[in-house]
Amino acid sequence: MFDLFSDIFTYRDNALTRIDPRAKLVIALAALIAVVTAERIVLPLSVFAISLAAVAVLRIPAKLVAVRLAAPLSLVAVLVVIQMFVTGTTPLFTLALGEWQLAAKAEGLRQGALLGARVLGAVSAVFLLSVVTPAHRIFQALRWFRISRNWLEIAILMYRYIFVLMERVSDLAAAQRLRLGYRLRGRALRSFTALVGATIIHSLEQSQRTHEAMRLRGYRGTMPFGPLPPLVRRDRLILTLSVTVIVSARLLEWGVTG
Amino acid sequence: MRAIDVTGVRFTYDDGTEALCGVDFHVSEGEFVAVLGSNGSGKTTLIGLLVGLLKAKAGQVCIGGREIGSLSTEELYQRVGLVFQNPTDQLFAATVEEDVAFGPRNLNLAEDEIQARVTEALAAVAALPLRSRAIHHLSFGEQKRVSLAGVMAMRPSVLILDEPTAGLDPAGEGQMMQLLKKLNREEGMTVILATHSVDMLPLFANRIYVLSHGRVLQEGPSEEIFCHQEMIDRAKLRLPYVSRLMYEMKRHDGVPIDGLPLTIGEARAQLLELIPKGLILPGLEEQRP
Repeated sequence: MFDLFSDIFTYRDNALTRIDPRAKLVIALAALIAVVTAERIVLPLSVFAISLAAVAVLRIPAKLVAVRLAAPLSLVAVLVVIQMFVTGTTPLFTLALGEWQLAAKAEGLRQGALLGARVLGAVSAVFLLSVVTPAHRIFQALRWFRISRNWLEIAILMYRYIFVLMERVSDLAAAQRLRLGYRLRGRALRSFTALVGATIIHSLEQSQRTHEAMRLRGYRGTMPFGPLPPLVRRDRLILTLSVTVIVSARLLEWGVTG
Repeated sequence: MRAIDVTGVRFTYDDGTEALCGVDFHVSEGEFVAVLGSNGSGKTTLIGLLVGLLKAKAGQVCIGGREIGSLSTEELYQRVGLVFQNPTDQLFAATVEEDVAFGPRNLNLAEDEIQARVTEALAAVAALPLRSRAIHHLSFGEQKRVSLAGVMAMRPSVLILDEPTAGLDPAGEGQMMQLLKKLNREEGMTVILATHSVDMLPLFANRIYVLSHGRVLQEGPSEEIFCHQEMIDRAKLRLPYVSRLMYEMKRHDGVPIDGLPLTIGEARAQLLELIPKGLILPGLEEQRP
């Protein structure tokens, strides 16, 4: 669970963490749009490969990559299988399940592969962004792009207190386990519901105390955001080059498919 | 000049619990005052009233000579700052720098001034190297210091701390108290701390208020407070361990001790006077390798 939210790598000093968050955000957004609108699997898979290569160069542990990509990879597998058996007319092979005959089709496989590649490309681009940019820098950049203060304020507080609540939940669950709270199925269900209830109550109390602490330091309903310095020449260059490459690749693909 | 003037304050919670019953509490500028009391004695309620989180049902709370209700929130929070017992309640930003800058940003200060205040506050609590760290990567002791810096960046003249040493290891406890002493003695900051931990108070506090069941049982310097064993028992507190030892030696063994030493230094001096000179080896510490 902690691996899923771990942000320790964003605080490392490397070529990617040094880039301005606004530049990284725009590049990631351009990559996302290109991947989601792609009509062939080459572009999304290229984004996936480049992101994974960058992650490997940055020495992000494989376990973290696996944990974060587990859910989207499962989704990809389901997508491919469903599309393969539901879409298309050209049969590839047939599966016999008792009295049922399931025919896999070539068009479905292609469609499933494209959807899967889009998911992988998009998720890996966001994953790369998340391991090279601390969350608060992303929030600062989003604010710079005039994203609603209220949304960002909620996101900042969620991000901060998710770690606090996770720690609390982990302690409570350990305390329940130590008193055999999860030994039998019925007891486990009762323990789990008690844990959920305790977490909700704790988060309500926490929100009240945090609001008091914010008020005592002059909070009047809007959270102030620190300014970002102007984009340096190097970051402008990286931004221009990256966006040009992504747009060109997309246009090239458009030309090929169109 | 009085920094805090609380006169005849009463406070009752919605469930009918009478938390404060006619409390008088006065603190002069530059003082280091401790509010000592067991759990449920009314310490946290008193703090809530001092920072305007709670409103007294009767009586008066004045900060720097002005009634608390007449102060705007900006004025109030630049006069009094509260450091919560649990730093988790207080540290809500993603990084140390963002959190410490929160207060100054709310004061609409220029960015240069905000950065200067962040540097100054972090330097004061010896936390400058933590500046760009994420809050959730800090140890408990570091979080305590950063939460203190966050309040100091508002530059309040009165610093109120709720159980500042709770949850800290002995070394961290000592560091925190030394830090508060430095802020008080060198920066001239008025410090009020609510605690039930008695061992370090005689070293730091100018005066102590003992609270019990919402009432002030006694007020005065530590030597006056801790000589009233019965009152200390009534408040469900205890003497500092060294004082307890000396008290027991005096009571049960008839050791002729004047008054009651409150610190190890005082106890050592008294014991040295009682031990025959021939048994004491002068300069023993210097002879050790």
